[in-house]
Amino acid sequence: MTEPSPDDQLELQRKAKGKRPFYFSNPDVDKLLSMIMALTGELAIARDRIDTLERVAETKGLFSSDDIENFELDANALQARADRHRQLLREVNRIIVGELEDLEGANEEDYTAVVEQVEQDDT
Amino acid sequence: MSAPYAEQKIHNALPKTNHDELSRQHFVRSFKEHIVESLHPGLKLAYEKRAKPQYVAKHQREPGTIQEVGEVMKQDQHYQAWSSLLRTSQEMMWSSTQIPVERAIADLAANATDNTLGSLTLDPQLDIPSYHTAVDIHCQPGGYHTEYIEGDVAQGAIYDRAVYLYAMGQMGSNNADMGDSTVAWLKQTHPEFSPSRILDMGCAVGHSTLPYATGYPAAEVHAIDVAAPMLRHAHARASAMNSAVHFSQQNAERTQFEDESFDLVVSHILLHETSSAAIKNVISECYRVLKPGGWMLHVETPPYGDMEPFDQFLFDWDSENNNEPFWRKSHQLDLDALARNAGFTNEVLQTMVPSSFQETQRTNTFQGGDFGGGGVWFVYGCQK
Repeated sequence: MTEPSPDDQLELQRKAKGKRPFYFSNPDVDKLLSMIMALTGELAIARDRIDTLERVAETKGLFSSDDIENFELDANALQARADRHRQLLREVNRIIVGELEDLEGANEEDYTAVVEQVEQDDT
Repeated sequence: MSAPYAEQKIHNALPKTNHDELSRQHFVRSFKEHIVESLHPGLKLAYEKRAKPQYVAKHQREPGTIQEVGEVMKQDQHYQAWSSLLRTSQEMMWSSTQIPVERAIADLAANATDNTLGSLTLDPQLDIPSYHTAVDIHCQPGGYHTEYIEGDVAQGAIYDRAVYLYAMGQMGSNNADMGDSTVAWLKQTHPEFSPSRILDMGCAVGHSTLPYATGYPAAEVHAIDVAAPMLRHAHARASAMNSAVHFSQQNAERTQFEDESFDLVVSHILLHETSSAAIKNVISECYRVLKPGGWMLHVETPPYGDMEPFDQFLFDWDSENNNEPFWRKSHQLDLDALARNAGFTNEVLQTMVPSSFQETQRTNTFQGGDFGGGGVWFVYGCQK
């Protein structure tokens, strides 16, 4: 299957004309909620695809959902998974972990002080 | 829900959707069902327990208008969350239906030209009325009228699928519940009525039009809309569904049809998408093109009338939050006077018509984000 390059793809208007209302006292909450729902949708799609995969596999006589339920991961596989989870969580929570690192003292200098320093270091 | 999952009946004028695109659309339907079933009931609770007592404490009386309910409800955290999610579900609905159409836009346009049934007459000179262009109605990006390529059907193909998701399947597998219900009601209450020419105004993609062609097979069925992409898709869809309808690009305020040339003039959720001036013109135009003895029937959601202020407030959500600027006013009009001023002299019909779709699948409430769930439709009309 050949996919058209992004440059060739005609793009439809994606924002409806008309001012977008926001509901929470801080509109950032609306924006975050919208992003969470979009992500929830994509999660549902991924789960649906796995569901289809299992059903196709069963139809084709490859394996069944029960085979997946009863599959036992060995220690290496469990460790690989745990490492992947840890990596994912670090990436997702980067901003919070970063703050903690600042708090621990590695980068606790006041940013404005740094600006002042670099602006004035030729005097 | 106990009823089996009813998917839209897929016809040749719709784009092919791949696995994930289809899943994305089904998620939107599930999301909307979740809002209706799990979040909507909490609004009444929040109103009774939090918002209304606040209003009463401040004003020593209960809220009496949409605005007064809004004064406290718009500050309520559950209302804010519900609104924010409902608005988001609407945006995700359009996005999920745009994706496959965007990919297939050229093929859809090419396929839409090969139709043997009925006819299609476009008028590129027709002015798109300002009540269509001021904002994109019900948040469909580009509204009904935007065209991206020559012979474009994109807005129609998007709308066709989005209506199914919006109604959560509750308008039947052909999104035809408004037409089906009205035809069923007409046949039951006026079995002798046998129209030979029928006009559907503001037909969009013809969801409500085809039931008239099926219900009155001897009749010549015409359908008009201002938006060319809707009509091209409507014609292709009707042909794909083996139905002969004559589609033409005209404004219902002033058509090119001759005086007294129709036995039945109908519209479905058209009136609330016009304006104060336009709605008068539309009713007058109905009177002009109807033969003596012919029927005008407009299918809508019920007027606010005697609804509780809280119910009015919720039902009114679309006015400010879903780009339906004429929704509120259109639900507060003096419909009797509107018909009288257009020339109708018979008794004006304002009645609730039962949905022809299975009652068990419906939520039985009219509410923001689920006007198709009422289990009944409001019909306004008059016999000339």
